[in-house]
Amino acid sequence: MATLDLNSISKSFGTAKVLHDISLAIEDKEFVVFVGPSGCGKSTLLRIIAGLEEATEGKILIGGNDVSDAHPVDRGISMVFQSYALYPHLSVYENIAFPLRVQKMEKGELDQRVKRAAEILQLTDKLDLKPGQLSGGQRQRVAIGRSIVRNPKVFLFDEPLSNLDAALRGDMRVELSQLHRDLDATMVYVTHDQVEAMTMADRIVVLNGGRVEQFGTPMELYHHPATKFVAGFIGQPNMNFIPSTVIDTANGLSVELKGGHKMVLPVDTTTVSKGDIVEVGVRPEDVTIGTTGVEVEVRVLERLGGASISYGSIGGDTRFCASLPGDVRVKEGGSVTLEIKPEDCHVFDANGYVLRRQAAPELVA
Amino acid sequence: MSDVTQSIKGGVKHGTARRNILPEGVFAWMLVGPAMLFIGVIVAWPLAETIRLSFMEAGLGGEKYVGLANYEDLVSSRKFHQTIVRTFYWMFLSVALKLILGLIGATLLNAAIPGRALFRVLIMPPWVIPIAIGCIGWLWLYNGYFGILSGVAQKLGIVDGPFEFLAYKTSAFYSAIVTDVWVGVPMVTLFFLAAMQGVSRDLYEAAWVDGAGRWYRFRRITIPQIMPVIVSMSLLSAIFTFNSFEIIWILTEGGPRGATTTLIVDTYKTAIGNYKFGEGSARAVIIVILLGLFSLAYLFFLNKVNKKYGAK
Repeated sequence: MATLDLNSISKSFGTAKVLHDISLAIEDKEFVVFVGPSGCGKSTLLRIIAGLEEATEGKILIGGNDVSDAHPVDRGISMVFQSYALYPHLSVYENIAFPLRVQKMEKGELDQRVKRAAEILQLTDKLDLKPGQLSGGQRQRVAIGRSIVRNPKVFLFDEPLSNLDAALRGDMRVELSQLHRDLDATMVYVTHDQVEAMTMADRIVVLNGGRVEQFGTPMELYHHPATKFVAGFIGQPNMNFIPSTVIDTANGLSVELKGGHKMVLPVDTTTVSKGDIVEVGVRPEDVTIGTTGVEVEVRVLERLGGASISYGSIGGDTRFCASLPGDVRVKEGGSVTLEIKPEDCHVFDANGYVLRRQAAPELVA
Repeated sequence: MSDVTQSIKGGVKHGTARRNILPEGVFAWMLVGPAMLFIGVIVAWPLAETIRLSFMEAGLGGEKYVGLANYEDLVSSRKFHQTIVRTFYWMFLSVALKLILGLIGATLLNAAIPGRALFRVLIMPPWVIPIAIGCIGWLWLYNGYFGILSGVAQKLGIVDGPFEFLAYKTSAFYSAIVTDVWVGVPMVTLFFLAAMQGVSRDLYEAAWVDGAGRWYRFRRITIPQIMPVIVSMSLLSAIFTFNSFEIIWILTEGGPRGATTTLIVDTYKTAIGNYKFGEGSARAVIIVILLGLFSLAYLFFLNKVNKKYGAK
């Protein structure tokens, strides 16, 4: 097993630059998730690590060895594709055995390895079937089986769960996390689903427009988003952003939120000055109904049972979503006063960069 | 069936506010009639007539029932045996070449090479231009005095003087095969190409990541994936080649001394050339039987292949 280092990776297709100077140091046995919206370059980055695409610039090191020009098989990686890429004419056994057949592995060991993989993935009684006879989840497992028989140093997953239905996806998330523990291997996983990222990753790389927005643990990203993009991307429902004006920068940041509510926020104020426009980010789950705070007109209220999600706005055009108690007495079309604690607020400057929070919850491991 | 006619009747009644004036049976016959008439005139009647004629001694002078005499003659004729062997040799060689060249061509046209679209168009002419025109071109190529092949062979010192490719038994046979392959390859290539383009790119990428080389990927992914098309094209190509008439007729008329006379040419020469309609028909019936057996074998194989390679 091995570390994976990306040094200043850039990629252009013709004149279009899709990856800008990406450097990451992924630890041995770490489960790292690349997450971002469609077209952010996450799949391209994975394909560059796999050797399916060539980086325009930069180096890839696996276990400290420069593999930038190496063939995929010599990099010690294996990859699970979004479409599973199973060979429809081969049985499950032969699909799993494929990488070993390429290596011309001796029969006894091949058989042993395939059966071991099948056992781990609960496919033992499916070995004689063709992929067409399997369910989506089973096909997914065959694809994983094919990637583990080779004992690669690094596993690469390209949106492996996106073709499964929601319930199965939940199950497979748990199975993949379990597999990561069992195999004790370095894994890189690409997804556009922040829930997958949050639940499975040791660390998350948030990509946007071919750049790394932030690289950190799930709770780091949640509590200390470095940019407005990360703040909006991580967390469900998404963070609210309220345009605000800086009133004073002494003793914390004094702001007037849209709608007139004034607050003093415990953040670093060195990069802003009086009169600047900033955005105050508030997570839907960080608000409570109170007597003083922001006035929100509620348009729609979704009652989920344990919680009720209200969708509304401040002053007509600033959308504001709040996660309220399940039995909350709020009417659609009415308005509600929401209390926000200053220490729960995130503040972003005009360029979308965060003003460092001075009081924030201690991170859990 | 009755549901369908019910709703059709209902539609008529509703649309025109009229009682149905046609009994159900008549209406059904009106629907299938044209197709049946078409098949009857184009296929069934000529086939029945051919079978009937094969039991006759028939010529311009009239017909006389002779029972199985025409068939008995064929069974005992050494010349006919040779014709059958020649036909199968002709067919297997030509089909094999078409499949191999088609596979190579499709692989090349499927590769990411510059100007690929242009090459894809350039392989079409042999298939698109009328066979007769193409064959006249080949007649000139094979010509001993004016043909480029003979000229180049002389320049290179391979032959001493003008060489008429179509004048000698062996060279005429293989020349006809070359022309037949030339005409047949584009279709095979295009079908293979279409099949190859249907193979998911992910399969190749997955194999590439696993270290499979070009040849390995071709052998274990491309070939199995396009196997149903290979089987289909083998049969279609075999039937076309078996019945390939124009090419041989224009190039050699079956000569020299019968060297390029295949079953279909023999049938034509006997029935139309020598006005022996009965004997010709017996040959035609044998062709039908042989091709029928071929088609059965094909269905059997296709079924097997689809099972083995997982028909989509």
